[in-house]
Amino acid sequence: MVTLSSYLILGGLLFALSVLGIFLNRRNVIILLMAIELMLLAVNLNFLAFAHYLGDLAGQVFVFFILTVAAAESAIGLAILVVLFRNKRTVDVEELDQLRG
Amino acid sequence: MISLPPLAYADLQPLLPELFLLAMAGIILLLDTALSPANRYVSYLLTLATLAGCTWLTLPHLGAAPATALYGMFIEDPLAAVSKLVLYIAVAATLTYARDYLKERNLYRGEFFVLALFALLGMMVMISAYHFLMLYLGLELMSLSLYALVALQRDSAAASEAAMKYFVLGAIASGMLLYGMSMIYGVTGTLYLGQMRSVLQMGAFPSLPLVFGLVFLVAGMAFKLGVVPFHMWVPDVYEGAPTAVTLFLGSAPKLAALVFVLRVLVWGLEPLFIDWQQMLIVLAILSMAIGNITAIAQTNLKRMLAYSTIAHMGFMLLGVLAADRVGYGAALFYAIAYLIMSLAAFGMILLLSRAGFESDRLEDFKGLNARSPWLAFLMLLTMFSMAGIPPTVGFYAKLAVLEAVVNQGYVWIAVAAVMFSLIGAFYYLRVVKLMYFDAPEQSSEISAGADVRLVLSVNGLALLLLGILPAPLMNLCLYALKASL
Amino acid sequence: MNFQAALFYFFAAILLGAGLRVIIARNPVHAALYLVLAFFSAASLWMLLEAEFLAIVLVLVYVGAVMVLFLFVVMMLDIDPDRLRQNVWRYLPVALPVALLIAVEMVLILGARYFAAAPAPAPLPAGYSNTKALGEVLYTQYVYAFEVAAVILLAAIVAAIALTMRRRKDSKYIDPARQVRVHKEDRLRVLKMKVSRYGEEMHDHDAPHGGADAASSSGER
Repeated sequence: MVTLSSYLILGGLLFALSVLGIFLNRRNVIILLMAIELMLLAVNLNFLAFAHYLGDLAGQVFVFFILTVAAAESAIGLAILVVLFRNKRTVDVEELDQLRG
Repeated sequence: MISLPPLAYADLQPLLPELFLLAMAGIILLLDTALSPANRYVSYLLTLATLAGCTWLTLPHLGAAPATALYGMFIEDPLAAVSKLVLYIAVAATLTYARDYLKERNLYRGEFFVLALFALLGMMVMISAYHFLMLYLGLELMSLSLYALVALQRDSAAASEAAMKYFVLGAIASGMLLYGMSMIYGVTGTLYLGQMRSVLQMGAFPSLPLVFGLVFLVAGMAFKLGVVPFHMWVPDVYEGAPTAVTLFLGSAPKLAALVFVLRVLVWGLEPLFIDWQQMLIVLAILSMAIGNITAIAQTNLKRMLAYSTIAHMGFMLLGVLAADRVGYGAALFYAIAYLIMSLAAFGMILLLSRAGFESDRLEDFKGLNARSPWLAFLMLLTMFSMAGIPPTVGFYAKLAVLEAVVNQGYVWIAVAAVMFSLIGAFYYLRVVKLMYFDAPEQSSEISAGADVRLVLSVNGLALLLLGILPAPLMNLCLYALKASL
Repeated sequence: MNFQAALFYFFAAILLGAGLRVIIARNPVHAALYLVLAFFSAASLWMLLEAEFLAIVLVLVYVGAVMVLFLFVVMMLDIDPDRLRQNVWRYLPVALPVALLIAVEMVLILGARYFAAAPAPAPLPAGYSNTKALGEVLYTQYVYAFEVAAVILLAAIVAAIALTMRRRKDSKYIDPARQVRVHKEDRLRVLKMKVSRYGEEMHDHDAPHGGADAASSSGER
């Protein structure tokens, strides 16, 4: 039988993977955005696992809204990316050095 | 299946300000497409009228007892009413200061007003949220609008770079926040803040998973507040964004973020206060230290104010970590006082900037006294207030927060906070020195409308007035907390 | 190990493998395709968790719309993948320990007794429809959230259009109203010019110019 822990560990590993991706892909904003999508996927998996084992629909509803917001979020993120690319002709985060940070 | 009573008009009554704001935003969005650039002031005036209308609709809630609406998703209490009223005033002042700046930079468009109103709506949703889902949705509505506002100056490479950094770090913060929410949901089995609190008070839950979720939750909120060690985005975004947008995101969202923190940590998770108190102590001390020390090295005023924001947010958290009603009230007072100071400081930068000239370097303030003694005096008040020098409101805000911390027995934290604000006083007073004792580099006329000067004067004098007579505002803050909790 | 457990480990392995390939891919297009694979395996896992509606939404909306949007942007921006990946592994010494630490801590906490002992959920009644159950609460109990989500989408539309739409200067379009309003005087100008002989004018212009050129070049030498 698959236990709640198995799902949670899978979510945790996926979360750690996305953190690793955010660290590694400092050079490419597009893959950075994809790593953020992975992070949200890990969160969704967590919510659904809890909803299943608690026998509660609220977790599923939460995931429904996370999906909606994530879609809006990636639309805005990609729009900003396009504006940035028009201005700088690059998606390399390290070339984003106009602002010291 | 579950049968819920259908919604009646009376159920929507507490939401009237939100509904009115949404309707007006839609009207402005549609109307603006038909306006020629010369008539753009119609959108501006309609936005101000919207804020006035919201004020009128929110005022009756000020004295009402806390009540939930919409099946427990929405809470209307004095804390929400006070915060919303302050937000309306802050946004109205922001738009007034920003008008000329926006016109000169081809940003005076309907989208700016609509996105600003959406961001405000997001803050209102956050403030009145009584459910994790509404906290998240309000936060996202605010954040998404703010990302877009930062990037709105499309031909500016600095602005789009700032927007990208803000977006990526904001999205990571949302991810962490959500992960924390999912853990808390998994342990307590509920997403309603009220139920969470009572479940936690009764039940003996294993503390490890709860604290694990709490860490992610606090980290996500720290990102949004911009406190150390999650502050990397603040200086870059403040510097890169158009100053009008910096003003917007440096003022109203700070208060909204504080109420967000209070809703999560106090309304939902107060039984865990021993755990989150420790985390907040680390965040607050680090923020005050790094914010104040790094600010000294800055030559750009926007960047300096960004580090000063980090330090002020750390100070504000002191009130929260006192973990009693007086402390929360002091934190609310601090947030409102900071809002007024931040509006005055960025408003001054906006007032002194012209087309093609940003007036955001420290040298641009040299000899301001020779050019305009009155504006220099207002800036002096602002800097004094930020440094916490009596008799300005900044002094009283710091005093109230420190008092709350000392009452809880954390004398060493108060001592550290005083030390760091003494370091901080140096860079605020440097601005004053530049204004009064250096020769001006700029000699051009300061071109600003009479209304902007008037609002800025009222804003600056409010710092002084609230410093001399802090009692009414302080009582309002304490009342809001006591009547709401 | 029963059939469900086998399915879980199968899809979990694919999910983690695809996730790993997303973050180390050289080419953004490959990363996007691996992300699609990750979403598909996640949807299968959600089926195991009896969230059928969301599993289908994940495939339809996420893979069908969001990932296609990602691919559009990747293709639209002219990115040179080789240049971007020059020293990818530079951050590995920092990133790997951090990620491993997070992973180990998570496994320790999440694998702890408390969650492992969670009772298996009661089986759902016959005729239960996940879609119906979600629909019933979505428009009643969560109507407020639903409306706010609508506002978020509207804000995203406004933002995306405000940020990326531009009127191209080089596109040629016709405005009939302006065409009709044109008068003869706007377009046509009758000039009166003196008659001049072509050859004379050419000669006058050329001579001094050529002379100056020659002088300057000799001066340089």
